[in-house]
Amino acid sequence: MIHFEEFVLSNGLKVIVHPDFSTSMAAVNMLYKVGSRDEDPSQTGFAHLFEHFMFEGSVNIPHFDGPLQRAGGENNAFTSNDITNYYDILPSNNLETAFWLESDRMLSLAFEEESLETQKSVVMEEFKEHYINQPYGDVWHKMSALAYKVHPYHWPVIGLTLEHIEKVKMRSAKDFFFKYYRPNNAVLVVAGNVQTTEVRQLAEKWFGEIPAGERWERNIPQEPEQTERRLLEVHADVPVNAIYMAYKMCARTHPDYYATDLLRDILSTGDSSRLYNALVKEKKLFSSIAAYTTETVDNGLLMVEGKLNKDVTMQAAEKAVEEVLAEIASHGVEQRELEKVQNKIESYIAFGETNVLNRAMNLAYHEMLGNASDVNLEIKKYKSVTTQAIRETASRVFRKENANVIYYYSKN
Amino acid sequence: MNRAIVPATKNIERLQLPEVQQAQLDNGVPVYMVNSGEQEVVKIELLFRAGKWYEGNNLISDFTNRMLREGTSTKSAKQLADEFDYNGANVQYSVGFENATVTLFSLTSKAEMMLPLLYEVLTDASFPQGELDTIINNRRQRLKVELEKNDFVANRNFVGALYGQQHPYGRVTHFEDFDRITVNALREFYKQYYHADNLLIIISGKFGESLFKTINRVFGGSNWKGTPANRNITYAIESSSQLTHHTEKPDSVQTAVMVGSLSINKHHPDFAKLSVLNTLFGGYFGSRLMANIREEKGYTYGIHSSLLSYPHGGFIEISSEVGKEVREATLHEIGFEINRLRSEPVSEEELQTVKNYMSGNMMRSIDGALKFSDTLKGLIIYGQSTDYIHQLLKTVQEVTPAQLHELANRYFDFSKMYKVTVG
Repeated sequence: MIHFEEFVLSNGLKVIVHPDFSTSMAAVNMLYKVGSRDEDPSQTGFAHLFEHFMFEGSVNIPHFDGPLQRAGGENNAFTSNDITNYYDILPSNNLETAFWLESDRMLSLAFEEESLETQKSVVMEEFKEHYINQPYGDVWHKMSALAYKVHPYHWPVIGLTLEHIEKVKMRSAKDFFFKYYRPNNAVLVVAGNVQTTEVRQLAEKWFGEIPAGERWERNIPQEPEQTERRLLEVHADVPVNAIYMAYKMCARTHPDYYATDLLRDILSTGDSSRLYNALVKEKKLFSSIAAYTTETVDNGLLMVEGKLNKDVTMQAAEKAVEEVLAEIASHGVEQRELEKVQNKIESYIAFGETNVLNRAMNLAYHEMLGNASDVNLEIKKYKSVTTQAIRETASRVFRKENANVIYYYSKN
Repeated sequence: MNRAIVPATKNIERLQLPEVQQAQLDNGVPVYMVNSGEQEVVKIELLFRAGKWYEGNNLISDFTNRMLREGTSTKSAKQLADEFDYNGANVQYSVGFENATVTLFSLTSKAEMMLPLLYEVLTDASFPQGELDTIINNRRQRLKVELEKNDFVANRNFVGALYGQQHPYGRVTHFEDFDRITVNALREFYKQYYHADNLLIIISGKFGESLFKTINRVFGGSNWKGTPANRNITYAIESSSQLTHHTEKPDSVQTAVMVGSLSINKHHPDFAKLSVLNTLFGGYFGSRLMANIREEKGYTYGIHSSLLSYPHGGFIEISSEVGKEVREATLHEIGFEINRLRSEPVSEEELQTVKNYMSGNMMRSIDGALKFSDTLKGLIIYGQSTDYIHQLLKTVQEVTPAQLHELANRYFDFSKMYKVTVG
């Protein structure tokens, strides 16, 4: 149970406070409701590049990191399809430093040409390191494009091409900032060794005078229902054949999300999971196999990916995976197997909550989804899933015409 | 309000360490306990002196540990996994140079129930040949993929150049090594190193008195004895006579770069001060390497310098992946930054930032029972008490630019460092 209090400043900034006096640290988490799905298709990768730019100095502070480090703090950020999340963790008696820094870069950035150019190079090197100079590194580019034809999940967070990042201009950075980085599009969570009254006073002092942004409507084209199986064959300089099978699934906020996530656990979490036992241990078709969900605000993907053993054909590998999935769709699972994954999730959530920064991030994330207090309903929602729901979800998700498949062949 | 004025900050003067209780099982196994926090979870870590240092052939310690998951004389791998998983318990297995570790993560309410099963894994593992063959196949496949990654290959070449193939810190895995793994070799290693006289236990989380009693009942018996690992084994270091090692990969768009040299480990009195110097140089986001090579030049997504400390040695390791066209320029800048450390003392202001950042990090490293247990483990391995943390804070806060200048000249010499590049 995560206890918290919340209030809203007159400029629309939502503030959530989660006191925990067992720690001497404070975690400050600022979530901006903007991600790669909000990008212009001709300027992909922008939200993530912008995240880098947010550390390059604000209107009154030349560089973000230095003052925070001098206050004993550490910080980082990440960008996803849906959000951009910044966090600082520092000794709680230096809490005000984080307010000063975070509020100044919400007020306005320095917008210096030179630092934008440097961050473009840094991000292009990040692109090369993770997506080009890496065996199978481009698979997420290929899968996003295969599975999403209309929705902006069509491109990955890093961006479609290096060129998109290379040609970014300052004008776009300013427009982006003043549209999305406004108090009424953000959630601030302060957690740890802090008092609500102190946080309220600091929030008013540092964020109170930042003007709200103009209202805008998010208008994202939604992906139509997929009606036939899609297959892409890739031949690349990789050492072993791999297969990727992504099935469309519901959004993070949909009631079916919990059954779908548990289905994923049944398939792939732990040494007792189905895919590993059936296909790696018994049939020995794969040397590794895993399933995961993209957990996105709009409809997501449940992806199975595996590396094939020598002399196993793609067709045989795909068929074997389909059999494991079909088994659940047609026969469901025993109560005990469902309880197993429910117990795993309960334990996973409990361990996650030992960390104050994690709690802060989860509060911000659930507030962005709709309501911070939902964070405390997660275990109950997972536990109320029935074997019938698992079976129904499996038969709905694991349909042939709902599949996006990549045969990733080794040229060697 | 004047936003140009920096809010006042306080320095960390002392650290409030969680309490550590020490006890012994009836058979003499030392137990360390950190009991605090709100969440009803517990982590039970069993450390056997059964790491790579103690193996005759490469991969034996690794595979002995890996095969613990594959069944006992009465249970299959699947049955074992089912029972842990059903109770929401997670068992992690890992091997380092010194220790092989088996860690149980569990809700406190389920932990005691899991202990007999864990004991069975540690005393009655069956090492089935069929499962071993599968795991070996999977690991071969994985190695094939890893060998396509420039950073992985650079790391192999780098530690190989520092230590040579006869030393555990330098030895790397070749495909032939998998052929030499036999069930018998694993069984022997298991018998020799996985027993009560070669074990220590660290418990952290929120738990009642019954947990220790149950651990004592399950793991404290006298029928689980053996000979402690021989800690006097030594290996010859055969450093490469050549400082520069390049592997060309025509299709790469980046080059993995590793630079460094043998150095001191945590046993050495200079280590704490040297780690301040290293942090300033390349150990945090605001470091000189990051400021120059990432933030100013944009050559890389990240560049880091670490002081790696192991019980029998240590080394300096600078690593990055950079655009292929700036490979030489990066090496040049690394050399430039090292020479700058050697030629002029750092400023008080820059040093103060590093001191504060490191003090904050120490505070983060003791925050919460689970986190603190990792820090505690690091101390125990080097025979240090928790007082060391307080001394460390003092050392970090008192070190001077003149001392760092002297250490830079003693430990950082670019002309004597290995330079390994792949890509």
